[in-house]
Amino acid sequence: MSDSKELTPEAPVTGKARMDVAWGANTGDETNASTNVASTAQSGEIFEQEYTQWNGILNPRWMRNWAILRHHLLGIFKKGHRPWSMPTRIFILIAFLASLGDAAMTLLASLIGSAEVHSWFGVNRDNLYAHVLGFFPRNVLWYPIVAALLVGGVISEDRHHGTSALYFSRPVSRFDYIGMKYLSVVLIQSFVVLLTYLIYFLAEILAFGRGWSWMIDVFPMFLAGLIAGMILIVTYTSLGLSLSSVSRGRFFPGIGLLAIVFGTKTLASIVKNLFEREILYLLSPYDCVAHVGQAIIGTQPTYDQYPWTYSLVSLVAMNAAALYILATRVSSMEVTRE
Amino acid sequence: MGRRISPVLVVPMENDLIIQTKALTKSYGPHMALEDLNLSIPRGATGLLGQNGAGKSTFLKTILGLIQATSGEGTVLGYDIKTQGVEIRQRIGYMPEYDALNPGMDAIHQVRYSGELLGMNPVVAMSRAHEALQFVGIGEQRYRDIGSFSTGMKQATKLACAIIHDPALVIADEPSNGLDMKTREFMISTLNTMVNDGQRSVLMASHLMDDVERVCENIVLLHKGRLAAQGKIEDLKAIDREIEIHVWGGATPLEQRMKDSGLTVRREGRVMRIAHTQEDTTRLILQAASEVGAQIRQMHEYEASLEDLFLTIMDNLGYTVKSSEDLLRGKSEARRVDAPESLGGSGA
Repeated sequence: MSDSKELTPEAPVTGKARMDVAWGANTGDETNASTNVASTAQSGEIFEQEYTQWNGILNPRWMRNWAILRHHLLGIFKKGHRPWSMPTRIFILIAFLASLGDAAMTLLASLIGSAEVHSWFGVNRDNLYAHVLGFFPRNVLWYPIVAALLVGGVISEDRHHGTSALYFSRPVSRFDYIGMKYLSVVLIQSFVVLLTYLIYFLAEILAFGRGWSWMIDVFPMFLAGLIAGMILIVTYTSLGLSLSSVSRGRFFPGIGLLAIVFGTKTLASIVKNLFEREILYLLSPYDCVAHVGQAIIGTQPTYDQYPWTYSLVSLVAMNAAALYILATRVSSMEVTRE
Repeated sequence: MGRRISPVLVVPMENDLIIQTKALTKSYGPHMALEDLNLSIPRGATGLLGQNGAGKSTFLKTILGLIQATSGEGTVLGYDIKTQGVEIRQRIGYMPEYDALNPGMDAIHQVRYSGELLGMNPVVAMSRAHEALQFVGIGEQRYRDIGSFSTGMKQATKLACAIIHDPALVIADEPSNGLDMKTREFMISTLNTMVNDGQRSVLMASHLMDDVERVCENIVLLHKGRLAAQGKIEDLKAIDREIEIHVWGGATPLEQRMKDSGLTVRREGRVMRIAHTQEDTTRLILQAASEVGAQIRQMHEYEASLEDLFLTIMDNLGYTVKSSEDLLRGKSEARRVDAPESLGGSGA
């Protein structure tokens, strides 16, 4: 129960200290002339806008191109550059590690001294071919998917976000723009396909103490495998970037590339089994690269009804058509509106 | 309306020109996007005006050296637009109207990258990116992802990208588009600071006449690919000076009397604007008011806005453009909102 008091003029003023704090300790009898206005704070601006001039040097074309290349390459590894999606980065890492499987098995063969394991996984003509052009698992699970993830948004996202204006309103030509994007996608794929190929070859040399004579002997095969890998990467990149240039999203180019690679391969395979005619593999990018690769590395050809030069011509035509689409679409990208 | 403005207004400007074109023409097949354009844009801030399809974008692309003119010639900062596009784009800063930023990047790295695309050393570009973002007012947010930015912050980031290399000329395409009042004010003051303190030139394409008027001292008005007007805003306005009077009582006789005296009168209720074409216009107005017994409560020189000027020029070109006032000035019946039926109205 509260202890209520009647508020009469004689009643004590309670809570005075709090009122003093709230209103100041003055009596209230001061004259107007001596009254000070408490609020003297001024609204100050912390932000001071100052235009600073710059008289530095702008470097020439190669530096601008290097900036585009670095922007795309370093984006795989760290923030502050092209923001590749996390699934893309993770998948590249997985594909890289998976592609080192034969190198790891070569080291294992050396470690346990097994000639049989070495014959399965060590460096020889068939295994060099298999490292870059083997269908399963590398050209089913790893390389085309890496290519699809990379090409997905490289150009289409510039169209989608309007960042093409950032390039073309600067002294960057369309040729340099395509060239550097193309090169960056090629280099990232090379990291997975060709760097692991080199590591594989190096593992054989180190693990089995191969000398110069062996290296000189095997080098033509190694070089042929390297060239075959480059053809594979270039073909996937050309097809993928052309799809990216006609799109505004990341999904269509990626899934389109996979559809072309696997769809044509499946179609050629069905026709071959049903009609015993291999001609349709000329439509399949993978089959054409594999045919050319088999010819230059010197392994047993899988496609023997037609000469490998047919496949080479088909590859040239595919790349030319893809690059034509890419060039045409990029030349139509706008600066003022997209 | 009695307004006498020739379709093409050319007011002489200083000889300190940043953009100059002579008979510049660009056609896409039979469609003339730019036709015989003779422009002289001086240092300072210039507004590029025109309706959709007037040729503003084509003009910008042409002076950036991105598309080749069909005929004619032009220079930007002394560089030939036909052969020195790279040099021009290296020396100007372009702020696009539409989104041109990667939402997955933070602002500081986006601005740094735009500097690197100009050929700046990465370390220098990063240093300048800090300065540019500080200048445009988003220094505190520079490490935030652009995807989380408001429209105003995106506009500021685009401006920072444009000025990272301290260009002699900044081309800003609709810089205050979509901004709220506060950020719009800041954008305007930032452009003003660049022009006044930084001594940089700005070519500002905008539909917001008020913004153009606050930043620019010159305008270029394009219409259907042709030059409709160019010159100092003040000079262009002065061509069409008026005196505004507010009348109490006898407005109609006064209007008639003034017209009889040879004055050109526009009337909206008790507010009249009389073309100030002769020295004794004021005397004639007062004399007419005295004769008909009308009271003039206010009388002052009417300062036309840029929007007025734009509407007038378009009117002279034979096009009716709806101004914000027009849209509010419809028939009262059309705007009538009746009370609901429960309150005795028709419910309309």
